[in-house]
Amino acid sequence: MSATLTYIRTYLVRVILIIAALSGLVTWYFVSPQADAIANELQIWNTAAASWTLFVGIITIFSHYIRSVMKRERYWPYQLYAMILMVLWCIMGVWSGLYSNLYQTAYLSTKITLHIAILGQLIFFFISGVYRTFRIKTARTLLYAFLALIMVVLNAPWTQWIFPNAEKVTFWLLNNVGMSGERTLAITGGIGGVVLSIRILLGLEKGALRATEEI
Amino acid sequence: MVEIPELKSQHIWVVILCVYIFTSVYPIGVPFRMSEATLKAYNFIDSLPPGSIVIMGGSGVFAFDLESSAAMIAAIKHMARKGLRLVALPLGTEAVQFQKYCIDTARVDEKYGGPWKYGVDYAVLPYIPGGSAAVVSFLTDVHALVSTDVMGNPISKLPIFEDLHDYRDIALWTCPHWGFWIVRYVTGERGIPMIGFAQAAAYALYSVYMMIYPDKVWLTNGFLGGAQYEKLVGIKGLGHAAMDSYSLISIFVVFFVILGNLRLLSSIKEEEEVIE
Repeated sequence: MSATLTYIRTYLVRVILIIAALSGLVTWYFVSPQADAIANELQIWNTAAASWTLFVGIITIFSHYIRSVMKRERYWPYQLYAMILMVLWCIMGVWSGLYSNLYQTAYLSTKITLHIAILGQLIFFFISGVYRTFRIKTARTLLYAFLALIMVVLNAPWTQWIFPNAEKVTFWLLNNVGMSGERTLAITGGIGGVVLSIRILLGLEKGALRATEEI
Repeated sequence: MVEIPELKSQHIWVVILCVYIFTSVYPIGVPFRMSEATLKAYNFIDSLPPGSIVIMGGSGVFAFDLESSAAMIAAIKHMARKGLRLVALPLGTEAVQFQKYCIDTARVDEKYGGPWKYGVDYAVLPYIPGGSAAVVSFLTDVHALVSTDVMGNPISKLPIFEDLHDYRDIALWTCPHWGFWIVRYVTGERGIPMIGFAQAAAYALYSVYMMIYPDKVWLTNGFLGGAQYEKLVGIKGLGHAAMDSYSLISIFVVFFVILGNLRLLSSIKEEEEVIE
């Protein structure tokens, strides 16, 4: 790609991003029907663009899997099986409709049942993990085991039945101890997001918007 | 001191499996207490005037959201009895199937002898990608965002959408999915009351929103919350079915932690004896 085209592409994307970001910010801080209209339109564009990511995903998987199957790489039979299934599911979905009873029954009977079975197994690993991990050897493991156990015990139906105030203790822990940590993560994540977006727009981060980079 | 052997994982798995089999074959019907949050959520739905529009919206993974379905199904039954109307808004790829499962299992459609008629009392929209952008657009202008329902019928021809144009027409938003983050847009920005039928893990994460928006946001707690809502509605569903194993497993968690620590003490004693 020529340097001119690279510059046009990167700066064009930056201009679009700035307009989109500003429209969102303006509608949040000021009352402006014009800015509202632009922001709404861009939100809908965003939703429409997100639909395409589904196709991009399918195309990416197929291009990778086809190459792998042709070369008979490791796991190629599974990849072939996955591709056949994807095609069949797409045909069935288009033919019968996603809301049809046929599609629903097929979906529930295969993917969902298997997924539930996998999730259901977690409790087995969880309890055998708990048996080994929560051994109180140091002050740190004591604190760790105590806090984890207290949430299990306080949330258990039998505890709440015997001690009606158990739920209040749970709420206190979640709303104070838990929330302070959660808020810290949310605030630092938010500030980090703003800083990162500014750096991307300024071309300081690597990626598609860095005009000086080979694309 | 009695020597306590180290258990293999397989031994623990067998015990847990026995608990599941036992509670499935012989339901104990363990008692549980009503939560204040579940009761408030129930009372809020109960207080809505007939014809109010409720949204069932969000995104998540079906298998994981199944825990939320216990309370959601009971709530749908409650809504149908009260004459409320429901619009399902799937924001995740599996949300269409999950929301259909909830509505079908609640048996509220007239084809199952229920009071709801599709298009008039409830409707299901297609999967709308875009996450936050989709939520914001939906709240701003429903008809600009989506033009057909999940079956391809124009929403302009469905009577329920004559009364649903933007956030001002929504009386309540319910979220039976992991993605409760939409509370920021739904309640935070637009002030719509919201009920999250959360999984136990999601409840621990999102329950703080009940404090952030008091009397606007309520969450039910996993299968326990589902069983509580079922009790209020007067049905026995998935929530009640899960309660026995839920209770017994929580006892076994404590039991195995104690056993693990006894084993630790035992091994220390053994080491001391070897040194001596």
